[in-house]
Amino acid sequence: MAQSAYIVNTGIITAIGNDTAACLQSLLNGRSGVGKAEYLRTFWKDELPVAEIKLSNEGLAAITGVPDTWPRTALLSAVAAKEAWAPFAERTTGLRTGFFSANTVGGMDLTEDIYKEIKNKLPYDFNKVANHECGAITELVAAHFGINDFVTTISTACSSSANSIMMAAQMIEAGMLDIAIAGGADSLSRFTLNGFNTLMILDKQPCQPFDNNRRGLNLGEGAGYIVLMSERAMQQCGATAACKLSGYANANDAYHQTASSPDGTGNKLAMGNAMKQAGLQPADIDYINLHGTGTANNDSSEGKAIEILFEGKIPKASSTKAYTGHTLGAAAGVEAVFSVLSIKNGIAYPNLRWQTQMEDVSWKPVTELETGLDIKYVLSNSFGFGGNCSSLVFSKC
Amino acid sequence: MELYIYSAGIVSGAGSNTTDDFLKDAPVYNTGKLLAAEPDYTGYIPPMQLRRMSKAVRMGIAASKVAMQHAGIEKPDAISIGTAMGCLQDTEVFLNKMTEQDEQMLTPTAFIQSTHNTVGGQIALLAGCYGHNLTYVHRGHSFEHALINAQLYLNQHPGEKILAGGIDELTDNSLSVMQQCGMYMNAETPAESILASKNKGALAGEGAGFFITGSDPAPNALVIKDIVLFNTHKEAEAIEKVTAFLNHNNLSAADIDLVAEGIDGDSHTASFYKNLNSSVFANNSIAAFKHLSGEYGTASSFALGLLLQMVQNKNIPSFVMLNERPGKLKNLVIINHYLHYYSCWYIQAV
Repeated sequence: MAQSAYIVNTGIITAIGNDTAACLQSLLNGRSGVGKAEYLRTFWKDELPVAEIKLSNEGLAAITGVPDTWPRTALLSAVAAKEAWAPFAERTTGLRTGFFSANTVGGMDLTEDIYKEIKNKLPYDFNKVANHECGAITELVAAHFGINDFVTTISTACSSSANSIMMAAQMIEAGMLDIAIAGGADSLSRFTLNGFNTLMILDKQPCQPFDNNRRGLNLGEGAGYIVLMSERAMQQCGATAACKLSGYANANDAYHQTASSPDGTGNKLAMGNAMKQAGLQPADIDYINLHGTGTANNDSSEGKAIEILFEGKIPKASSTKAYTGHTLGAAAGVEAVFSVLSIKNGIAYPNLRWQTQMEDVSWKPVTELETGLDIKYVLSNSFGFGGNCSSLVFSKC
Repeated sequence: MELYIYSAGIVSGAGSNTTDDFLKDAPVYNTGKLLAAEPDYTGYIPPMQLRRMSKAVRMGIAASKVAMQHAGIEKPDAISIGTAMGCLQDTEVFLNKMTEQDEQMLTPTAFIQSTHNTVGGQIALLAGCYGHNLTYVHRGHSFEHALINAQLYLNQHPGEKILAGGIDELTDNSLSVMQQCGMYMNAETPAESILASKNKGALAGEGAGFFITGSDPAPNALVIKDIVLFNTHKEAEAIEKVTAFLNHNNLSAADIDLVAEGIDGDSHTASFYKNLNSSVFANNSIAAFKHLSGEYGTASSFALGLLLQMVQNKNIPSFVMLNERPGKLKNLVIINHYLHYYSCWYIQAV
């Protein structure tokens, strides 16, 4: 590895806050963003709670001054990318900057409004489908911020943005880029809500990850990015690093298109290989930000994989999805921001709404906010459909 | 970049390389959309599973199996895929039911198979591949990013074999939307006149091109030395960037044996290639490939497959050439565009 990828800033918007400071405050106060949908127009709004950002598309667009006709995912992406990027935007002359953004939903929130018209060959507003592709979301935002040295979009379901962070780090380490904004975004849409509903894995109440009586997940929306830099870029930009991305791994569970294997084969491979790359032993990890969706299957597989890998010495661990919902393609970006905040502020987040010990897993998550900790190494997990499993290791500088 | 390409599996509008007659005869059609001529899937996909697979999934799985067979490997160590549009067919099945049935009485199958990483996940599942697995969805650069990822992976895991592929499927509605915006042509056009077409819009296409790649030289392989990517709406800038790409690789036009170009039947974009061929590549042998594959976001995967086929079979079909055949195939260049996404490839036959 030629050089390290340092993390110098974060940008985020979720149901618990429109920027990093607001999200941190909610995490500290135990304030969940799960509730009734106000902006998502769905038949299920009274039955299925979601972690929705309480801003209209016009309100979101106004934050960054972009057109409010963009898909909501692009609007969310722009808000978080702006927070992450603004301090350095004018200082990067001569440096190569990349934008690595993941999403799963693309412009579906607009497409689903006019699909009937398209199919029935009736007149429709072409602008609503013009940015349907996942890649179009990234392109809109990259163009707005004038980033063009390398721009890509990854879509590996719920692990998507862990993989964009991984690739960003690889390109900085290889000397191909100096700076990368990496993470992902996803908005709520009827398509995803109904899709997850058919799988019968949505909780009709606020979710309870890693609880024995968990009933499923709540979908959320948001965007989360970290800014990675080489040492040279940090000097030029006057940036300081709280931590660096020291390990990453992507593995496949190769078990089922939507379900995790009972003993978390892919989960173990991802976590184990990420720690190995960081040169760490399981005992070195201070905090795990769990994938912890709240579904019976995920939490059981992830719980067992951790039990096996950490052999009775389980680090502090919690899922933050009871706060933010499962933000899908944004989840690993959002949780990368939380991982950085954990190191910076020496905190481990409570796994909200936890009540009952899981029967098939021997350990329990952190249930009360813990502060004043010396968090040196954080492991963040993201697992998804298609067997895609990714883990990241953040190390204090 | 130093990415070796050992074998290919191709499903395309010009047929698939599951049989020996692939690219034997000039294409014959009169159409504005070139659907994939799908192979007999027997022996590649169990019939029970085939019934449930959308076109994107079955094309991708068959192409990946052919690539693995040709390379003589049971499973790759890792998988890296590019798809501009993802699994459109299943996305539309679910979207259609959701909108028609007002979010009621929906079933999960189409939703499960609609995610962009379905093909990568299914290949891993069928082959029992627990390794690194990524799907890029960046429009006209999706396949190129999958190859860059393969290179990044191999840098850290030398000696391993990674399956890299490009895949996109066309549906009636995606065709109609892209016809409406002028990207795809409306007119039926005969194969022999596609490359000189006066139509507005490209010949619509679809297909899968999968490859076993690695970091070690091997006989009969190709090696990708460089891929330069850029976006522009200006033709002059595109031509400047092609020149810069050649300079960056210390390549003079005289060094290049064959240039494969993404001329796609759209009279508007034809001008870029025409001007390129009368200036930068004025004395080069030029091939085209989109009259065989049609235009789609990952059509460059077909171009790579075509070059590998020509090098491995030591045969250049006359119907791919715009002018004289080259005397040898050593230094190869692909110049491709999809909308305003351009890619320039420098490839050598090993």
